[in-house]
Amino acid sequence: MEVMDIRPLLAPVVSFACAGMVFFYGSNRHWRHFWMLSAAITKMVIVLSMLPGSLRGTVYYYDVIDFTGGVGLGFRADALGMFFSLVSATLWVITTIYAIGYMGGDEKRIRFFGFFALCVSSTVGIAFANNLLTLFLFYEMLTICTYPLVIHKETPEALRAGRKYLAYTLIGGAFILIGSVMTLDAVGTLNLDRPGILNATVDPGSLALIFFLLIAGFGVKAAIMPIHGWLPTAMVAPTPVSALLHAVAVVKVGAFGILRTVYNVFGVDLLGDLGYTTPLAWLAAFTIIAASTIAIFQGNLKRRLAYSTISQLSYIVLGAAVLTPFAATAAIAHIANQAFAKITMFFVAGAIERTTGKTEIRELDGIGHRMPWTMGAFTVASLSFTGFPLFAGFITKWYLCLGSLEAGQWWFLGVMVASSLLNAAYFLPIVYLAFFKPLPHHEGRRDEESPRIHEARPSLLIPTLLCAAYVIVLGASADVPGMPFSLAKAAVQFVFGM
Amino acid sequence: MENWPHWLVLVVMAPLVGAAVVPALSLRNRALAPWIALAVMSVTSLAALMLLVRVAREGLFSYVPGGWEVPYGIELRFDEFSAVIGIICLIGWLAVLFSVRYVEHMPNVVPDRIPYYYALLLLNMGGMIGFSVTGDLFNFFIFLEILSLSGYALVAISGERIAEMAAFKYLLMGAISSLSVLFAVGFIYGMTGTLNMADAASRLAGLDGSPAAPAVALGLMTVGFMVKAAIFPLHVWLPDAHAIAPSPVSAVLSGLVVKVGIIGVIRVQQIYQDSGVVDLAILNQLFVWLGAISIVVGAFFAIFQEDIKLMLAYSTISNIGYIVMGLGLASTYGVIGGSVHVFNHALIKAALFFAAGALIYRTGYRTLTDLRGVGKSMPLTCAALSIGAISIVGIPPTAGFLCKWYIALGAFEADQPFFGFALIFGALFIFIYYIRMVNAFYFLPPVRSEVVDAKEAPLSMLIPTLSLAALCLIMGLAGRIPLSFIEPAVMRLLNGAGG
Repeated sequence: MEVMDIRPLLAPVVSFACAGMVFFYGSNRHWRHFWMLSAAITKMVIVLSMLPGSLRGTVYYYDVIDFTGGVGLGFRADALGMFFSLVSATLWVITTIYAIGYMGGDEKRIRFFGFFALCVSSTVGIAFANNLLTLFLFYEMLTICTYPLVIHKETPEALRAGRKYLAYTLIGGAFILIGSVMTLDAVGTLNLDRPGILNATVDPGSLALIFFLLIAGFGVKAAIMPIHGWLPTAMVAPTPVSALLHAVAVVKVGAFGILRTVYNVFGVDLLGDLGYTTPLAWLAAFTIIAASTIAIFQGNLKRRLAYSTISQLSYIVLGAAVLTPFAATAAIAHIANQAFAKITMFFVAGAIERTTGKTEIRELDGIGHRMPWTMGAFTVASLSFTGFPLFAGFITKWYLCLGSLEAGQWWFLGVMVASSLLNAAYFLPIVYLAFFKPLPHHEGRRDEESPRIHEARPSLLIPTLLCAAYVIVLGASADVPGMPFSLAKAAVQFVFGM
Repeated sequence: MENWPHWLVLVVMAPLVGAAVVPALSLRNRALAPWIALAVMSVTSLAALMLLVRVAREGLFSYVPGGWEVPYGIELRFDEFSAVIGIICLIGWLAVLFSVRYVEHMPNVVPDRIPYYYALLLLNMGGMIGFSVTGDLFNFFIFLEILSLSGYALVAISGERIAEMAAFKYLLMGAISSLSVLFAVGFIYGMTGTLNMADAASRLAGLDGSPAAPAVALGLMTVGFMVKAAIFPLHVWLPDAHAIAPSPVSAVLSGLVVKVGIIGVIRVQQIYQDSGVVDLAILNQLFVWLGAISIVVGAFFAIFQEDIKLMLAYSTISNIGYIVMGLGLASTYGVIGGSVHVFNHALIKAALFFAAGALIYRTGYRTLTDLRGVGKSMPLTCAALSIGAISIVGIPPTAGFLCKWYIALGAFEADQPFFGFALIFGALFIFIYYIRMVNAFYFLPPVRSEVVDAKEAPLSMLIPTLSLAALCLIMGLAGRIPLSFIEPAVMRLLNGAGG
């Protein structure tokens, strides 16, 4: 059932308005925090209010303006879009609290929070985009609004990272634009409301080119190798930005775009016949293994997390490329599973940096004695990535394995196993260092037995713990009715026409 | 009200007469000059508005001064392409307002001559408006000369170090182009015995014999207008002239005067498309290539500029490349995109030049390095500049995106996908230098204390700048209006059914 409703438009507008408020009335700290928090909560409420209807199969849509004569600005909250917006709306609330705690006395806070809100606005706009043009619009807006965040520190290093980021993502954007134009030229529509708008009557050369352009364009933000180079460099940004970039907004938008391309632009039937997804699946498998391997050798905590992100994102791409219902479930569910686990880790990295000033992994000896809760959260996230049952990451791996078997491509099981081992190899040593090594002597110990507990401040700790808790909730109660997982299933049923 | 027939003659005569009376009326009190000019532009704008309403209601119409019927009298014709006078009036009005404070500040300016500046500006407006609405080939040339001559003088007036040099270069190229247009008009008159465009078109169709002579006329006319439009390789005069001119004049030159070349090209195409005497496909293919090269060349040179106005001037070459490419594709979407970009680029580029002018007025500096950190001291002007930059790069939903979208669609529609790619990757190139600008204004450490302490621009500059920046956004969202407005004219042009 399709219902015209303004809420899919309101969700991005709320963050947009919040950005305006922060830019114009943000000089007072209290008002700024008030605007940020109230907008984040309002948006969360708006998205949640659509959840019951969405679970019943209702699709809310709202066409705003047809500004090109043919294709316009339109929003539509289908199951896939709802899933993604739910993740980003939830994480916006949590990240806002964290960012308020983290940014503290930074001078450029108004700019930071303003663009932060704009990024969230674009992300939800992408989630609810009714057509490729709207999606592209918000995709470019996201690129531009992230730039001031990446170069926040304004050091030469940050500016270099910003340039690299823009170069990668803008070229990606140009690819998407050409792909969209070709699609419109081929079939006369860009709507994302059905399982596949392209069909076999289109010239095969064009189909291949469109697939390449769209996947390469979105693949830049999804950091598929070899076009991942911007992501580790962009780590110079403040930690809440890294969390936002690497867990919610930027990279997920790339992955989401790939899902839209596979499911709504081409459709699984057409792609099954064309067979373009096989090389994509291999590329994703390669990225999973290669990025994990590189991660092992990173000494800086945030850089290790960055390479882990590259590896994890390709789970989504792999799930999409396998083209079976189970794999698709894994791909969609991993948007949330990776988001919450990875944001936990970034929060931990930021909390350690703000509390102790440490950024390198070798400095973390015994940190678990000082910050037990923080490192506990890190442990939960590590276990999730390693694929322990009852943690969110397990759900993804389980469905991805089922999906590969369903498609008769059992060798992806090998990729899963190898990846789990590699994940364990680069995350568990950190847990070991933190809890099983003693603190170095010169650091805050009164005597041998009781190291002084010195946790991160509550505004940093509470969001971290919330995310970690949610990782367990996502993993342990995935199939409980009303959980986002059922949205993922609904999306899969729509895509596969079940 | 819009049916009063004399609006069409009023819209041409008002600025021309205004140009004559402004210096006379402000002889005693110099300060009156801008306000008289503003009043004249207001009358002109009112007339233009009426004409726009009428053409939107009933389509093409014409006016014969003195009741001398076509083809014996002179005809003024108003079609959808003539609607460009709407933007001419808008930007002209704002440019006059912007000049009020700006001209006082120009180096070497003789206060007694300020009224002449406004006279030249009005003369330029009158020339452009007349050029856009005339249906007569000889008038076509006359108005072209009026707007060109006033243009040369307006460049020279700025008093910058190389102003005379830039104006002279402009004059030289401009004179050659006017001359070749005049030759072509002579050719057509010789062949057909008429100077009325529509009449010439039908008589050209009836010509027998070799198509060589009409082809030569077409070639001369096209080359002439290509110089005015600054299409590669005939663009060399543009960067200096546009960068050196006073900023409000730069806005007029870059936003409007180069478009005259485009209107000229469209008029010539109308004549020849209707007559069918020469196959335009070869010319169109040439346009597409030159457009693509202009995009890349303009963007490439812009990257290496330190002077913001020079950067904007090179970006004009790129954007004219878009327009010419769209027209040359000769597919519905392409031509619509190209025609609408005539309007949209005028808006965007005027906004950018106004903002740059305000920065120069307040700080006295014009290079990226010197202007570092100006984003904090002049936030509104820099915000307008950023919106203009986003728009000209073609980020949706701004005005610049629409044309890129349409021209790219047109390239695929015409089965020339290569140009779609060239266009969109050319736009990426353009991005590079706007990022340099934004970086300098907002993110790099300041080097000049005057820049850090600069005050926000005065209201007479802020109003034009901000309203145009707002229009860049509005015209992106309301983009369907110009698109559907221009569509009938484009269909007529492509199908050769009566210009």
